Amino acid sequence: MPYDYSDEPHGVFFLVDNKSFYASVEAVMRGLNPLKALLVVMSEQANTNGGLILATSPDAKVRYGLKANVSRQRDLPQDERLIVVPPRMNLYIKRNLQINNIFRRFVADEDLWPYSIDESILDLTHSYKLFGETPLAVAKKIQHTIRQELGLYVTIGIGETPVQAKIALDVYAKHTPDLIGEIRYATVPEKIWTLPTLSDVWSIGHRTATHLEKIGIHNMHDLAYCNPDQLTAEFGIIGGQLYALAWGIDRTLLRERIPVHDSSLGNSQVLPRDYRDQHEIETVIKEIGEQVASRLRHHNRLAGSLSLSIGFSYAASEQTGRGGFHQTVNIDPTADNHIIVENLLMAFRSHWRQETVRNIAVYTGKLAPATGQQLNLFDDPTQQIKNLHFQNVMDMLRAQFGFRAATFARSIMPGGTAINRAALVGGHNGGNAYD
Amino acid sequence: MISDLQVITKRLDALFVRKRNVRYWLQVVDDPYDQTYNFFFDSRLKGHREKSVPLHTITHYDLAYLETVIISLKKHTQLSVLYEGFTGQHWPSNYNIIQKRRHWDE
Repeated sequence: MPYDYSDEPHGVFFLVDNKSFYASVEAVMRGLNPLKALLVVMSEQANTNGGLILATSPDAKVRYGLKANVSRQRDLPQDERLIVVPPRMNLYIKRNLQINNIFRRFVADEDLWPYSIDESILDLTHSYKLFGETPLAVAKKIQHTIRQELGLYVTIGIGETPVQAKIALDVYAKHTPDLIGEIRYATVPEKIWTLPTLSDVWSIGHRTATHLEKIGIHNMHDLAYCNPDQLTAEFGIIGGQLYALAWGIDRTLLRERIPVHDSSLGNSQVLPRDYRDQHEIETVIKEIGEQVASRLRHHNRLAGSLSLSIGFSYAASEQTGRGGFHQTVNIDPTADNHIIVENLLMAFRSHWRQETVRNIAVYTGKLAPATGQQLNLFDDPTQQIKNLHFQNVMDMLRAQFGFRAATFARSIMPGGTAINRAALVGGHNGGNAYD
Repeated sequence: MISDLQVITKRLDALFVRKRNVRYWLQVVDDPYDQTYNFFFDSRLKGHREKSVPLHTITHYDLAYLETVIISLKKHTQLSVLYEGFTGQHWPSNYNIIQKRRHWDE
């Protein structure tokens, strides 16, 4: 029996994605057509082990059979026609803002939701008629505007709900000549149920797909016609969501942003080589701890819990049978470098058994607003106030003159990574100065 | 204020290491979207992939200014210059064509 959609929201949603975003931006900067150029963006930081491909132009993907977005330098053929370029993260952020500003000409601010660096969701329910007869015509106009003003090609998924738009984008828009895909309630059976594999659909990963296979659901059609109660019993809330997904139902109101209950703040990094020496590992933990503390102060927050995650090197995890360790400790709310670093080091020393380390992550949770300094009765109050002042001065110096304006001496000791990483954005090259 | 030419030559000198079997050249792009001229340092080891590193972006979007920069740059280095996006444009001083025809991937 078909589903009665009359009570479901009928909107016009666009999911817009930039075709091979970083590679396209770099192609345009070099005067090349993003769809014709053979170009890859490769990050060659010390911790990428020879080079990490961040983006590949569409033609290079086809010609060299590069599928996954993130692959290694060794998978790339040595071809004289292929251009390898370093990333410029600041430039991509700038382009993303320019693209979203173009979207704002078509929708109100509250109807635009930037989803990632190269994807945005637009709710055109109320505004598409101002720009064209049909959603398809408006999609073409958006594509045209972006190509005209920025030289970039965008793919657009159109749907009556955000999830329809997302599936239309992922499955159809990327493979059609006009780079547009459309799914409506009426076309859900032909467009969604006919997909051969479950994991082709957004939000269904390999584990969920295997789980579904186990209970006799092998494709989207099976999912649409299974018993929703059985699904909920098997998967919990996600079961209901999966059932809705199969019918293209999504009641999200884009205008109502979801408030974050318990935000967290942290940093992680992959080390450029295996670290064995305790002093070196602790140097990096201190650096990350101080960076996180400084960000807490910048956001005017105090952290009530601290977590340290340590990932072992491949060889060490093979040997010991554990990939690393993770510890969370509750502390009195603070944003003080010393207290945060001290707790991190305590957590590290209590779990570390001389394994070689390759990943370090520090996260803080239970964030509270910083309304004033809580003095500790057992320490000298003048010293405590002085410490806080010192940290504030460091923060101000760095905010004005950059991180490298003042660094701790330990950062130039063997193992320190803070100075090198200061110029990076998201772990990759940010771009040239004076540009 | 550091001049455009200084930035370009400083970065170029650091990258131009004159290795065996490597071809080096400069790429200058007319970017009509940003209204800038973009400079890149390109190199390719024989039989390998081309590497293209951004040198600088000139934001003063004026062909006469670009010409002065290029003339001074040619006094500094003899690297060949590849122009992209200049088809149909001429150097203001002598009216010579800058780029004869479009490249296949433009």
